[in-house]
Amino acid sequence: MTAFPRRMLLGAGLGLPFAGRALAQQDIGRAASFIQTTGQDLVAAINDTRADVAARRLKVAAVLRKAVDIEGVGRFILGRWWRQATPQEQAEYVKLFEETLIRNLSARFGEYQGVRFSLGRSQQRTEDDVLVNTIIERPNSAPFALDWRVGEVGGQPKVVDVIAEGTSLRLTQRSEYSSVIQQNNGSVAALLAAMKRQIQQLAAREQGAR
Amino acid sequence: MRLTIRSRSRTSVSRCTVALMALAILAGCATRPDPNDPEEVAEFKQTNDPIEPFNRSMFAVHQGIDRLVLRPVAVAYRDVVPPPIRTGIRNVLGNLRTPVILANDMLQGEPRRAGDTLGRFLINTTLGLGGIFDVAGNQFGVKGHSEDYGQTLAVWGVGEGAYLFIPVLGPSNPRDLTGFGLGIASDPLTWVGQGVTVDVLTGTRAGMSVVDTRESLIEVIDIVNSESLDPYATLRSAYRQRRNAEIRNANDNTAPSAAGGTGFGVGTGIKPPPPGTPLPR
Repeated sequence: MTAFPRRMLLGAGLGLPFAGRALAQQDIGRAASFIQTTGQDLVAAINDTRADVAARRLKVAAVLRKAVDIEGVGRFILGRWWRQATPQEQAEYVKLFEETLIRNLSARFGEYQGVRFSLGRSQQRTEDDVLVNTIIERPNSAPFALDWRVGEVGGQPKVVDVIAEGTSLRLTQRSEYSSVIQQNNGSVAALLAAMKRQIQQLAAREQGAR
Repeated sequence: MRLTIRSRSRTSVSRCTVALMALAILAGCATRPDPNDPEEVAEFKQTNDPIEPFNRSMFAVHQGIDRLVLRPVAVAYRDVVPPPIRTGIRNVLGNLRTPVILANDMLQGEPRRAGDTLGRFLINTTLGLGGIFDVAGNQFGVKGHSEDYGQTLAVWGVGEGAYLFIPVLGPSNPRDLTGFGLGIASDPLTWVGQGVTVDVLTGTRAGMSVVDTRESLIEVIDIVNSESLDPYATLRSAYRQRRNAEIRNANDNTAPSAAGGTGFGVGTGIKPPPPGTPLPR
């Protein structure tokens, strides 16, 4: 079953001009090692039980800030509402978005204790982005696959999306945020208020977890 | 003769239109986008949910049923039935779906995948003791995959139509709902035998599919309900993306063979290849 797509990929690879092929592989290699490093840093921060939750959260936040194109992804998710927001709203949104990203992980430190991470296959997707496939394993639960979309932002590889089982997180979140704004008659402020409540809930869970 | 047929089909078409219009009026359509705002129009088209208010009320009904019945039953099932037996039940349900998966592999012109499906059925039904053990997947390395008539219609170029949310069944659309109906109608097990025993077995299978699916989604749906700012919108987006991935056969690990053709059954669980598997280059 795996033989078929493999053969197809091989065929596609041979069909490409050699220079192009070498370049593509280099990009894939770079993206893969970037994800490898980022993943290891995250896992190390999460599993560092000597540090307390707040210290671990700061560590995770530093890794995410370095690895994720937070402003770019945030703007993508807000979509057409970005330009309808005031400059203050835009600034507050990016701040809240970053906080949501970090808290979403820190609220789960308990669940993710003992997490392991390994690279799966890695493939070129578009001209700009590389999809890096990884396997996430947790004690006492089934492993799952996660694809990281890596783009180049300012000459540096950055995570621009995470895809689980064919579902892109940034597309799903874009749909969610846009829906909240629409349900509130086009008010970006309503989304910001909802995001603040969500962050408070996540913070409360983080306290409860450990 | 030809005239009668034509006029008859015309009446049924117009009857259908009237019914649809009545439904839409009852439902209340979503607010139309401002035609002068191309971005708003684009988003409206992208979201593909013209009867959103109706769908949202159906979603509210579903959430009530889920809270009172579906989730508690799924949690009890997980608590009472040990994991190996649950796996066996899931394998049996997947094996019973073979006729539908095989038919759709062939209708999509995928002889290799059809061969996988047939081989799995033969091995698992015999060596796997009636499908309880996935011998084909675990010992022979032939992994199961899901196919259904909704996917086949999509491969044939049929559009999905407007998004639909149906209580208990979950997210869907006219294409996948048609496929779901075709799946039941074309399943030989729907037509085999009659009498109380057969009815009981058919009912048990349908009930077990719902419980098995819901059990596999306990964590995922809990997270959506507690963390999404709008669970309805999150599910809508996730369903449509995932369905498209399945239609492309983008990732054969997306849906195991026990997954149904529409609703929450689409793509339950995930089994990635074990780490260290030789990877395609």
